[in-house]
Amino acid sequence: MTAPSDSSSDSSPRASASIPCRVAVAGLGSSGIAHALAIATLERAAVTALADPRSAARRNAAGMGFRVPSFADLDRLLARQEVDAVFVCSPVGTRVPLARRALEAGAAVFVERPIAIEFAEVAALVEEANRRGVRFMCSHPLVHQPVFARAAAEVAAGKLGAVRQARASVQASRVFSARAASHVTHGRGGGVVAHTALDLIFLLSRMLGLPTEGSATAIRLYGEHEDEVHARLKLASGGEIRFDCSWSVPGYPVPGTVIELEGERGHLLVSDDAVEIDGPAGAHARWINADLPQPARFDIDGESRWLEDSAFVDWVLGGPAPPGAGREALHAHAVLHALDASIRSGGEPAPVPSATPAAIAPEPAGVAS
Amino acid sequence: MRAPRLVLGARALAGMSRASRDRLIEMNARTQEPEALAVTLSKAIDAGAEAVLVAPSPQLRAALAELQRRVPLIAVLPTREWHESLEMDPGLAPLLRRARSRAPAGARLRGALSTLVRTPGVLRGDWAALLPLLIELETARLPRGELAGVAISADVADAALATGHAKLFARAVDFVHRRCAVPVGFETRNLGVMIEKLHGWGVQPDFVIGPVNPAGYGMKPNAPETLRAIERRGIPVIATELRAGGRVELSEGVRYARSHGVHGVAPDLVDLDDVPGELRALARG
Repeated sequence: MTAPSDSSSDSSPRASASIPCRVAVAGLGSSGIAHALAIATLERAAVTALADPRSAARRNAAGMGFRVPSFADLDRLLARQEVDAVFVCSPVGTRVPLARRALEAGAAVFVERPIAIEFAEVAALVEEANRRGVRFMCSHPLVHQPVFARAAAEVAAGKLGAVRQARASVQASRVFSARAASHVTHGRGGGVVAHTALDLIFLLSRMLGLPTEGSATAIRLYGEHEDEVHARLKLASGGEIRFDCSWSVPGYPVPGTVIELEGERGHLLVSDDAVEIDGPAGAHARWINADLPQPARFDIDGESRWLEDSAFVDWVLGGPAPPGAGREALHAHAVLHALDASIRSGGEPAPVPSATPAAIAPEPAGVAS
Repeated sequence: MRAPRLVLGARALAGMSRASRDRLIEMNARTQEPEALAVTLSKAIDAGAEAVLVAPSPQLRAALAELQRRVPLIAVLPTREWHESLEMDPGLAPLLRRARSRAPAGARLRGALSTLVRTPGVLRGDWAALLPLLIELETARLPRGELAGVAISADVADAALATGHAKLFARAVDFVHRRCAVPVGFETRNLGVMIEKLHGWGVQPDFVIGPVNPAGYGMKPNAPETLRAIERRGIPVIATELRAGGRVELSEGVRYARSHGVHGVAPDLVDLDDVPGELRALARG
């Protein structure tokens, strides 16, 4: 019989003095577990506490090797454990109150997206983090995926010139019934844009600037949530993004994202597989994933998770702010707000609120939702 | 127990591949029908593949049912179809419940007896206790005589690797050797990390399966450290992702992997244009 040289698991807690960043994870569904696993492989961080109201979820986390205290709720965790950061990965509808508790405890907060369906809630939370001087970030892993990171870098370097036209889409095979939709939304609202397309919207905002206006129509196949959305987003530069998303497309067990940009000086096409640029005088460049740096030192479910979590921990420890940090956490939610408003009004253009909460007016009474 | 040196990889059937979407669509079109997949598997064995690395899925079972011959399988366990990941809670307990409901009566009885022996760990949800039960129940559904090896899936192995759950790896090796008497190993997306940790824990599987290719694509923590681990630690490696997502030709990828001391290679269906022809060339080389 083969036996480990050390009969105990080597994930025994280290003295807190030697762990630069002590992390609690609230919500032990698939995304919470994935974050916990990524954090467990970081040199300068450790998972030191877990929280989930479901005993089966806490048992699963312990069973896979997390030998740390676990609690049924975040309040008890924060009362008994000193942590430097909290990853909020619970279902939508519970993220804002949990994030607020973590902010009140002075912990840096990382929240899965969408933070909330209502923009005003997200804006209030971001403003509170800002007022308290606590680090706050929304997860948008797509920007860390090497092909999309390269595409963004090419645009930032001016290789295309001013971008006039963009087409972008994300497709996934997630919802083919009302029950499946309910599983995704936990009955808390939001459709395909909120639950599948926010990463793409965030990436587009970083590449091209926050849109100023959006108009959208939706198709509901399986219930009251939008299953397919077609939108136009107007840019401050005068350019336009045509944007499509669906979570009811067969053949996409892994969501497929495509962006095509037409600039004054060039054309760019990027998907999960490759990025291609056509520049002036016939210049052409193409990179597939294997051509690009893959700096993550551990693969949980691709490069992005580890890179994003590592960047957040670095920020907590004094490094640069990563994408999605601070007020940038509002950007994708601001676009979501405009698209939701447009869908409700039958496709009329709706302004994208600026990333300050004062810009949000309360909904007039009687507006159909 | 000796691990095979040439294996046909069929992990892309479950979406476990870094090949481009176009290649995956093409492969799916070629193998969608059970008869087509059956012919492919049969030709692969005739061409020199010692086994097929695959998760036992409805698609595989349908293909095997078409054949009159035995196809040696390195079964990647536990199985979880991609759509099940959307519907099931994470972890081994939901998989165990599903496996119990599908297993033949004899296997369920053996599983119940095994549970009694491991009751404290099972009650705690310890993966080191649950995994052997899952292996027992899932291997019982494979046609007799087809099991040529067991590979613990990357989803499970990499999670236990991240948390440092050494006992899971030791128990898995011990259980499969005792119960199934076939080679046992671990599939991983983090080959260099896995080899070093297993070495440090004193766990000696019969093989570890992970990416090795000239581009270093998918080699974690990075290519140099992974190659050093392969060369230094003496744990047999079966190399996958040989084409680096399409960056290099298969022959170049295999040459590279073999020159860096891997024990075997597992080119995937998605990377092969001429399954029997290319496998025959690799078997000769």
